[in-house]
Amino acid sequence: MTDSEMTDSENDDNSENDDNCENDTSVPPHERRRPWWHWRRLTGSRPRLAVTTGVIGVVAGALLGGAGVAWQAEAGPFADDRACWGTFSQDDAAALFDGKFGGNADVKSSEVPITSDRIGAEGSSGQCLLTSDGSRITVQAHQLDTRFGGSGDQWADGFLSARLTPLGGGLLGMASDTRAWLAVPDGCIGRPRDADVTGGPTVIDLKTGWTVYDDEVDIKARDQLARAVVKLVNHYMAGKGCTGTIADPTGRMPQPPRFLDEKKDAMCGVKGLPLSHADARSTLGRTLVTRGAGPVRTCDRRVLFDHPELRLMTVEDPRLAVLYARLSENGTQKPVKAGAHDGYGFVRDDMGLFQAQCQTGPVTFLIRADSGRHPADIRTLLPRYVAAEADRIGCGPLHITLPAAG
Amino acid sequence: MKQLMDGARRRAVLVGGAVAVLVAAGLGTWATDTWPFDGKDTYCWGAWKEDSGPDFLSGEAVDEDNASRTSEETAPAPGRQRGRCTVALHSERTSSDGGKVVEKTEVTVDYGPAPESAARRMEWIGGHLGDRAMPLPDGLPGVSDGRSGLLVLPKGCDTRDGRPTAVTLDSTAESVYSDSTMPGDAGLGGSQSVARLLVAAANRAMEKAGCAPDKPLEVVSPVLTLPEGRETFFTRACRIKGLELGKEAEDLAYQVGPVTRDLQSCSVRQTRGDGRYFDALMVTQPRLSALFDGATGSKAPARGWRGTGVFADTYKVVRADCAGRPLTVLMLAPSLHETTPYFATFTNAVARRVGCAPVAPGGSDR
Repeated sequence: MTDSEMTDSENDDNSENDDNCENDTSVPPHERRRPWWHWRRLTGSRPRLAVTTGVIGVVAGALLGGAGVAWQAEAGPFADDRACWGTFSQDDAAALFDGKFGGNADVKSSEVPITSDRIGAEGSSGQCLLTSDGSRITVQAHQLDTRFGGSGDQWADGFLSARLTPLGGGLLGMASDTRAWLAVPDGCIGRPRDADVTGGPTVIDLKTGWTVYDDEVDIKARDQLARAVVKLVNHYMAGKGCTGTIADPTGRMPQPPRFLDEKKDAMCGVKGLPLSHADARSTLGRTLVTRGAGPVRTCDRRVLFDHPELRLMTVEDPRLAVLYARLSENGTQKPVKAGAHDGYGFVRDDMGLFQAQCQTGPVTFLIRADSGRHPADIRTLLPRYVAAEADRIGCGPLHITLPAAG
Repeated sequence: MKQLMDGARRRAVLVGGAVAVLVAAGLGTWATDTWPFDGKDTYCWGAWKEDSGPDFLSGEAVDEDNASRTSEETAPAPGRQRGRCTVALHSERTSSDGGKVVEKTEVTVDYGPAPESAARRMEWIGGHLGDRAMPLPDGLPGVSDGRSGLLVLPKGCDTRDGRPTAVTLDSTAESVYSDSTMPGDAGLGGSQSVARLLVAAANRAMEKAGCAPDKPLEVVSPVLTLPEGRETFFTRACRIKGLELGKEAEDLAYQVGPVTRDLQSCSVRQTRGDGRYFDALMVTQPRLSALFDGATGSKAPARGWRGTGVFADTYKVVRADCAGRPLTVLMLAPSLHETTPYFATFTNAVARRVGCAPVAPGGSDR
């Protein structure tokens, strides 16, 4: 490199009025009239071109890098307005209301972040509310309460209803066209710490505010909610640093349940369960049974405004059966008798329950009426229901004896 | 001559610009510690990388002066259906009382068919599928727990005599004090991480062996962890009717493994010393079941048994049809005490659970 070139390139960074410039042959006189930032001056000579290209390159690189960082951190123009703890984009949220409005809904959201109390005794909880034109969807994250009479039972009423179909594939979750829920898989948070085995699972559930008067569950809306709840749990797991992504379950989910034509000796489709005369003649409401293998098999009879007059339910998944563990041990003065180590249970005027110790873990067999008006029916049904269902799920033979009535 | 200079200079200029852009981009990747500025080591035929997650692969594990990570490997090849790789960590520190403590960790991956000798094969199967191992998700025929894992490879990797090839991952960790040795944590990062390490090693090994499937195997779904621990206070083992151990149970503990349609295990050990009382295992998953092929005998193991089986000194195995799938039940137990009744009880209980006719004599149908 010659001296003149050195000076030249240095001068580029200096003031244009520098005296040396006058002698600089690489800047022709006609260019000196142009301001220093003119592209011709900036690129006029090779060394200047090099410096200019370099500077532009660095600036462009820095801008790109900065933008990339902003995008990753979801800051600045890339700021996130995703609903429900960052899970749903505007389009995702609008799609949830699609079934109702058929178009692009304008969705507003508000939320309480998912947090846990300091000692973690109550597990994590949070809530997210999506509203669109007066309709709402409530999303909740919470650890299911194992105390009976607490939210565990209220929750079971709505979310273990026979209208819901299991998500399948070993997932602890279900969905219908108005509700969906899914538990965070074991190994991510909470369970399987030994101390937590007796605690309920942490679930995210989703409830629409509208009531469907149709008999049949709308498959498209159900699949929509199933995907939404999977998305919520995946997002939650990623935030907790848990690896693994739950795949879209809708491909393997069975058809939603249809009303069952019960035979005289097979109430709820369970062979050996007699249908009383009153039941057989009744035309009020009809019977719905869960379809497909999953955490529960629920039979709801005569459902009015979301409440069955009679529910027969088998909770096969041990993660969910813990909800009934405390109740089975201390819920009554009238325990039922069973083989040693087989389990605990009781019968009441409005309810019969047996918590069995199966090879898979605890399994709950439950019969519940909305009133205490038919205690004899519950007494007739419970032993037969436990025996038949235990056989079906591979927990048989299981025979229980009821305490004397009265 | 001038023309030539011009060309060269123009090129230099362009190169200068390009270099500047690269430097800027490079600064970004360097700052975020990403490729290609990592200079990381790889292990197990390139399947694992330093600092890719689990502790035993982290840079911190070998940060101290007296710490080192070494590895050895033999890759499988189209003509050689066996491979092994080992990653070993070794470090020395001074304990609080001034003594020397040596920490040793070893993680080993083996690629190859199940052992040929029946006794060794049963021990190998029971050791990997039993105890706390949980099935892998996404239909992968394998298991993992926090310390080890096994994956049966696709049929394309079967040996010429039809035995399936498997990849296993095993680990040991110990702290050696001047007067004692304590078991330690190998730092594999839990069963989720073990499953990923296992599948990554399997994919690379299959490439080397020339039997890789079109699409690499992958763990996408969460890997479940066993929710329950050892139970020491009991009379009925593993919640199985008939496995009431009476007074013997006082010195024993049981561990229920997975209880699914594909796999079930129950291990009963001595509370002191962890010695084996019996380890029982049921397999119906077809590829896992294939590991037993050729080792389950050709006739009933004893009078009144259905299917075929072998009652040997250290193990008992039986295989019978169960709704169109072979159901294989294995019990590993030292021959110190009579275990045939336990084996019969376990076999019939699990057969009944999955909806099959009794296999052992004396069982009742549903």
